[in-house]
Amino acid sequence: MVTGVIVVIAVISGIVILLILIGIGIYNSIVSLRNKVDNSWHQIDVQLRKRYDLIPNLVETVKGYAKHEMETLQNVINARKIGIDAKTVKEQAKAENMITETLKSLFALSENYPNLKADQHFLRLMEQLNGIESNIAYARQFYNDMVMQLNTRIQIFPGNIFARIFNFTARDYFEIEEIAAREPVKVQF
Amino acid sequence: MYEQIASNRAKTVFIIIGFIAFITAVGFAVGYYVDYRYGINSSYSILFMVFALILAIIMSFSSYYYSDKIVLGLTRARPISREENPQIYYMVEGLSIAAGLPMPRIYMIEDEGMNAFTTGRNPQNSVIVFTRGLLDNLDDEELKGVISHELSHVKNYDILLGTIVVILVGMITIISNIILRSFIFGGRGRRSDRSSGGGILTLIFLIVGIALLILSPIIATLIRLAISRNREFLADSTGALVSRYPAGLANALKKISKHSEVRTASSATAHLFIANPFGSKSKVMFSNLFNTHPPTEERIRRLESMSLGVGVK
Repeated sequence: MVTGVIVVIAVISGIVILLILIGIGIYNSIVSLRNKVDNSWHQIDVQLRKRYDLIPNLVETVKGYAKHEMETLQNVINARKIGIDAKTVKEQAKAENMITETLKSLFALSENYPNLKADQHFLRLMEQLNGIESNIAYARQFYNDMVMQLNTRIQIFPGNIFARIFNFTARDYFEIEEIAAREPVKVQF
Repeated sequence: MYEQIASNRAKTVFIIIGFIAFITAVGFAVGYYVDYRYGINSSYSILFMVFALILAIIMSFSSYYYSDKIVLGLTRARPISREENPQIYYMVEGLSIAAGLPMPRIYMIEDEGMNAFTTGRNPQNSVIVFTRGLLDNLDDEELKGVISHELSHVKNYDILLGTIVVILVGMITIISNIILRSFIFGGRGRRSDRSSGGGILTLIFLIVGIALLILSPIIATLIRLAISRNREFLADSTGALVSRYPAGLANALKKISKHSEVRTASSATAHLFIANPFGSKSKVMFSNLFNTHPPTEERIRRLESMSLGVGVK
């Protein structure tokens, strides 16, 4: 009789310990994914900051050659300011798309100013901005991959239970909204 | 993915332990030989064994920390600067961001053949190496495909295993060569003044000699065991996931397979390269013994099925 009770208690406590261990594993995996998302966001941030630093320089250079294009220049400056002030991922994504668009029109404008197009400083800035642009795209890709992993983990069972208990929330994707910015990879036949 | 990393770490530890055990055993055998020959007392075997053990441990540690430098030296690669080729820096930088890896250092081999490899002990200390032929002949999309493939090796920790294998297996080959030679020449020179115990001695060393002869194919098997063909397929598909453009690598492999010979590559470093550095139609012996690379046609076929034929030339 007594041994029977001990066996039952042992089995139950064994199961409880096993469940606790599994729970710890799931909890830790969610936390580590969340940190990966944060870290990959930081990667985007680094690239964005590099771009913010180059823009005033670019605007000054263009001003020297194309004084009458204040509107385009002002647009770039405004978009930059919105980007710096952005708080959430969605706001940031929107602002960055704006910057990309306004920079495009600025580069298009440079076609009309041969002297500007020949300026070494301008050419170097353009090259750097193009490089940063593609780095932002790659960083965004990595960030979105990580967000997808985290969101999947906290939406499927049993992760969703833990998400509710410990208040883990799904993250926003860094999305491109404009169709122009959604240019597909070069297709060659 | 994480299984691959764990398996690579386990294999690396296994190979290092195997190496230390082998060197220690050789040390003991040499000590035993000295004991037998001079017969003063039996402490030589222990002394040699301890010495060999310490040596093997030092060798293992140094190969862990310096193997990338040795490999770069063996293949005569030199660093390239950002000013020299800003384009490749942008591509490697971007793709390492996409793969979530720190930026590797970039090296180049002055060779017309098209090939590339990666070395280093971890992502923080990785080096990506291109030949001049590769940089000159591939377009941007193809280069991105190759870079993503190499970065996948970094991510999967293939580079640690691949690089350690080069050094440790290379050292074993050198040591066994030395012993085999000294045994052959030493044995002949002293045959005349050998005592009556020579019969057993000759027998022992005949066995050791045969064992060493058997060793070379074992080393070849070791390399093949460590560098399975699946690793290349895995890096191809992970790479396509990073670049999001499988056709880039497929087209690159098509170009590379026509001329992938690298003069500075040897059978010790061959498994590191993206394509067989002895060329696709290499000597029969090598292609059978060291087929560390799966057939290019098969790799291209798999990449094409990933891209659904889009963008394939």
